[in-house]
Amino acid sequence: MLRTTLIKALNAAKLSPKHVSVVSRASSDVAKKPEKIEVFIDDQPVLVEPGTTVLQAAALIGIEIPRFCYHERLAVAGNCRMCLVEVEKSPKPVAACAMPVMKGWRIKTESEMTKKAREGVMEFLLVNHPLDCPICDQGGECDLQDQSMAFGSDRSRFTDIDFSGKRAVEDKDIGPLIKTIMTRCIHCTRCIRFASEVAGVDDLGTTGRGSGMEIGTYVQKFFLSELSGNVIDLCPVGALTSKPYSFTARPWEIRKIDSIDVLDAIGSNIVVSTRTGEVMRILPRTNEEINEEWLSDKARFAYDGLKRQRLVTPMLRGSDGELTPVDWETALLSVGKVLRNAGSSVGAIAGGLADAEALVALKDLLNRLGSEDLCTEHTFPMDGSGSDLRSNYLLNNKIAGAEDADFVLLIGTNPRFEAPLLNSRLRKAYVHKELDVALVGPKVDLTYEYDHLGDDPNVISEIASGKHPIAKKLKAAKKPLIILGADILQRPDGGALLAAVQSLAASTTPSEGWKVFNILHKVASQVAALDIGYTPGVDKIRENSPKVLFLLGADEAAIDKSDLPEGCFVIYQGHHGDQGAVIADAILPGAAYTEKQATYVNTEGRAQQTLQAVSPPGQAREDWKIIRALSEVIRVPLPYDNLNEIRCRLHDVAPHLTRYGEAENANYFKQAEELAKTAKSSNLSGSPIDVKIKELKDFYMTDAISRASPTMAKCVQAVLKQKQSKY
Amino acid sequence: MSSHAIRAGTKQVRPILSTDRHEARQRVLNLYKAWYRQLPYIVKQYDIPKSVDSLKQKLREEFRKNDHLQDIRVIDMLVVKGQMELKETVNFWKQKGTFMSYFKDTVEPKPKDFLSKFLSGHN
Amino acid sequence: MAGTIVRITNAARNHYGFLAANCSNVQAALLSTLPPGTPPPQTKTTFGPLADEDRIFTNLYGKHDWRLKGALKRGDWYKTKEILVKGADWIINEVKTSGLRGRGGAGFPSGMKWSFMNKPGDGRPKYLVVNADEGEPGTCKDREIMRHDPHKLVEGCLIAGKAMGAKAAYIYIRGEFYNEASNMQVAIAEAYQAGLLGKNACGSGYDFDVYMHRGAGAYICGEETALIESLEGKQGKPRLKPPFPADVGVFGCPTTVTNVETVAVAPTICRRGGTWFASFGRTRNSGTKLFNISGHVNRPCTVEEEMSITFKELVERHAGGILGGWDNLLAIIPGGSSTPLIPKSVCEDVIMDFDGLVAAQTSLGTAAIIVMNKQTDIVKAIARLIMFYKHESCGQCTPCREGINWMNKIMYRFVDGNAKPEEIDMLWELSKQIEGHTICALGDGAAWPVQGLIRHFRPELEERMRKFHGQERSAAQC
Repeated sequence: MLRTTLIKALNAAKLSPKHVSVVSRASSDVAKKPEKIEVFIDDQPVLVEPGTTVLQAAALIGIEIPRFCYHERLAVAGNCRMCLVEVEKSPKPVAACAMPVMKGWRIKTESEMTKKAREGVMEFLLVNHPLDCPICDQGGECDLQDQSMAFGSDRSRFTDIDFSGKRAVEDKDIGPLIKTIMTRCIHCTRCIRFASEVAGVDDLGTTGRGSGMEIGTYVQKFFLSELSGNVIDLCPVGALTSKPYSFTARPWEIRKIDSIDVLDAIGSNIVVSTRTGEVMRILPRTNEEINEEWLSDKARFAYDGLKRQRLVTPMLRGSDGELTPVDWETALLSVGKVLRNAGSSVGAIAGGLADAEALVALKDLLNRLGSEDLCTEHTFPMDGSGSDLRSNYLLNNKIAGAEDADFVLLIGTNPRFEAPLLNSRLRKAYVHKELDVALVGPKVDLTYEYDHLGDDPNVISEIASGKHPIAKKLKAAKKPLIILGADILQRPDGGALLAAVQSLAASTTPSEGWKVFNILHKVASQVAALDIGYTPGVDKIRENSPKVLFLLGADEAAIDKSDLPEGCFVIYQGHHGDQGAVIADAILPGAAYTEKQATYVNTEGRAQQTLQAVSPPGQAREDWKIIRALSEVIRVPLPYDNLNEIRCRLHDVAPHLTRYGEAENANYFKQAEELAKTAKSSNLSGSPIDVKIKELKDFYMTDAISRASPTMAKCVQAVLKQKQSKY
Repeated sequence: MSSHAIRAGTKQVRPILSTDRHEARQRVLNLYKAWYRQLPYIVKQYDIPKSVDSLKQKLREEFRKNDHLQDIRVIDMLVVKGQMELKETVNFWKQKGTFMSYFKDTVEPKPKDFLSKFLSGHN
Repeated sequence: MAGTIVRITNAARNHYGFLAANCSNVQAALLSTLPPGTPPPQTKTTFGPLADEDRIFTNLYGKHDWRLKGALKRGDWYKTKEILVKGADWIINEVKTSGLRGRGGAGFPSGMKWSFMNKPGDGRPKYLVVNADEGEPGTCKDREIMRHDPHKLVEGCLIAGKAMGAKAAYIYIRGEFYNEASNMQVAIAEAYQAGLLGKNACGSGYDFDVYMHRGAGAYICGEETALIESLEGKQGKPRLKPPFPADVGVFGCPTTVTNVETVAVAPTICRRGGTWFASFGRTRNSGTKLFNISGHVNRPCTVEEEMSITFKELVERHAGGILGGWDNLLAIIPGGSSTPLIPKSVCEDVIMDFDGLVAAQTSLGTAAIIVMNKQTDIVKAIARLIMFYKHESCGQCTPCREGINWMNKIMYRFVDGNAKPEEIDMLWELSKQIEGHTICALGDGAAWPVQGLIRHFRPELEERMRKFHGQERSAAQC
């Protein structure tokens, strides 16, 4: 935490104060903000907005003030007192994190008084800190360690250790993810503030007073939230550490690889820590446009699923009906033979974890064989403009854009568990900017209050016609958002629903450049698959009854043997022995997202790539390479041999797929709405709108990786146990 | 200035053995001949499953590997090494397997095309 | 703790002291140009004893009826309507003229404090909060007012509320004060029934409500922002300042927190005039004050006296002198437990007012004098006080939470002498490390008694250590 801010400060330091003032002045011209005030920090002048705190002003010119309790994304507590600095003419030092600067203040961050104050606070913090760094998991990345080196005294005078010793606090059991060693706690209350402000779960608090103060849940209770793991990062000491990671690795012996999370459609930026070819843990990486610096628990803790239930060798179903391991040559040859015999009667279904490279390779292969039956496991209505217009299936207003909304209508989605980090944005806007939320669908706990409009789909047409009371709010809103869950589009009347929502979105009067219509996907592969030209939904497979079915990581059992003709040969390519592998006649082991450099497009249409952190286990291979090898065996070789070449192919198909980090905008809302009107006018059915993930226990295990994860299984158990508890 | 330095540099280089190309060539030929004469004894002594002819072919191959060399000093150095190698071989300071490594019979060639790379697990 | 820990900083106190030293000279010269509301210059040179007709709290000892009937007899609620009708500015001006300084310990000029509230509002209601959480050890003045003269406080709320334009007053009363709370509640009910409170209070056209809120027994809730938090139903932990309560106070609205005594004297000031009040005590220390005298005196008591009376006269006249005679005096704590003690040598001629005690390196605080005679184990007494602060620290900020706990451990070793003389310096430094580094003033309040002890009784501490180690050595030899 300190480190990231240090880096930020260093980056900021590259700009001279002159630049800073120029930049900020340019921005202030627009809004006609009150005049800036000049303060001096260590005799360097800096111009800041009124209301800027001393700490922020110092950060502007790259001066780092030490802190424990202060965190940019949380409310100011001001209780650690580490950030005390001297202000000229003030008799006592002021807390830099909380004190707004006044005109002409001369702040001294290196003066004798400041140093003395820091040293004193540090001494007090260490008085009751156990100093068990050698057995502490935070060792090596501990703020207290670092800051005591930098700002603490060089020797101890804690004579009382000979008489009375230190305080000891009982550890609390707050769930299967977070290990607590409460004796190490320095009572910065970051975890409490995170829980109540960001996660929206008011379970943590302080009990007792004075030196008897403890952080805890008061009653024996688990701290269960979809974002709970973030308190581990927030904790500046080793009081809250990761339970699955405990005693497994030290920060200086792990390799860190920047990557992307694929367990939901948000595409959170992560850092994969590995040691000796094994994923040790996953941490969030700051990306202001996507996940800020948070990470959902599934993304953070499901990594142990990467070591279980893995497909490590190709397999063929023998005459006895058992899958037997074979080598690659045999597998490719026999699969190739089947494919060649089938001719163009081949279908493919892509699952939720498939990367863009594999998707485009598979499409090229099947097209060469003369088949167009490429489907995604997750449905999207094809009525009207269907997936032809990109604006139909994107979270058009971007994840960060959700913060600026003034009214949000959620339809058939539970963002809290489908996209926890989008939900945290909505909660932020709800708490800080008075956002109003309304929901059509089952009543769920979103951590903030909302108008529940019932689960009848006809509410949507009622709102559109202006009959519903909420319609007025929607019309009046300057920045309204309608977020449609991808789940409900699988209903038979999905097309009509989509059309209804599109016309509702078109009837609003947003401010310039604001995009009202948004789709929230649940899986990481969907947008890329639709961009590449896959057909959403598996109906095509059911209709065409192919002789060979190729499952690219399709594990949601969208189709089973009874849907397929007799003797249909099922090829499963993927990394986990999950539901797809069960019905397969041949298994080709692929790589998981930590084991390949691959492209994913998140729900807002942002292409990002994972990097290879470890090598695939056993004989597993990168997915696009398997398809490329197969193509050679059946003598229709695909024209790319390495990553660059297949990325060129990706670029040909859809250029934005290789523009990493950028979200490609989609437009044509009007045309989409027009086309939606031409759709077969199927009326909305009266069946209630439902979502699959309603509560926390459904959140943990949603895909092949998290289903294989023992940690996620423990979480589900914990939720069930908590339910039985009387608290 | 710089050309002068280069000239001075080349002048100062001390020869290893030979003073001109002709002499170097003579040394190479002598070494070749010495090896050539020893080949039948090597086959016998080491009891290797190779004929004298295939050894002659390998000898030519090994010399031809360096036929592009122009620098007398490099040639001389390789001749010295060749002589050492010859001595070691003739004196039976080597094992059979070590000698056989000239032929790389057990070494598989690195895969070149995509499919063989894929099957062998090379990236 | 009342407001003792809201005490102004050392420097601020020095600032006042500096002013006081010069004021008497300067003021006369500036009299003609002074703004309204400036107290008249003091002409007296000796202070006390207070004449009976000048006493504000005439039922301090509960000898008369405390209910509305008795209160009316004593002059409460007399022409309250007229005072209210004269308006906020008049009241504030009168309070300014009186030179009244906050009676909770910090001694901030009340007129100025109230005038902060009397500016055009932004639509938010304003509140008066009366701090009746009197928890400071040694202090027992507010409870006497509340149980024997509750109507003084109720009327004071109305007048102070009018001065600030407040919508309502909350009296946050200490949880342990059961009888006081019940008397207050009765008094409030009586006032409502008599039409003195509520809609159109006293017939003045001004609507004002008074609510009682009982605390749950935490010393820290006497700190103004902690009190506000507690009133809002949260944990009583002090808030960061800024924003000050005058901007964002209880329920997010502008609030002034004042001590019971400050509010209770306001009606009398308004009735008898600010100049009358200012005629007592030295300039900038004017008025009468409730003194609590406890500890080793013959007759411990609470008494209303003129400010600037000398300690010796106060204790001889009202408390019957020191147990064992004046020469048996060891030290006093002049203003409630959080003020530094002063030894007998200083006590001889110390003047009991804000500036007089600042000059003696201590503070008037709540004017709760704890007297200790020579039979006192002074180290143990201070250690016990630190234990109190350790117990009452809210635990929010580091120096107070960890530092006082540590000081407590050291102090109890000092009681036995089980320490090295260097540790006295260490303790001094620790107390300096706490002082001024915390969110609220509880840390300061805990540091000062220790500093007072070390300042005046260092030889005593060293003697104990010598004795302890001597015993140990002789025990080892045996």
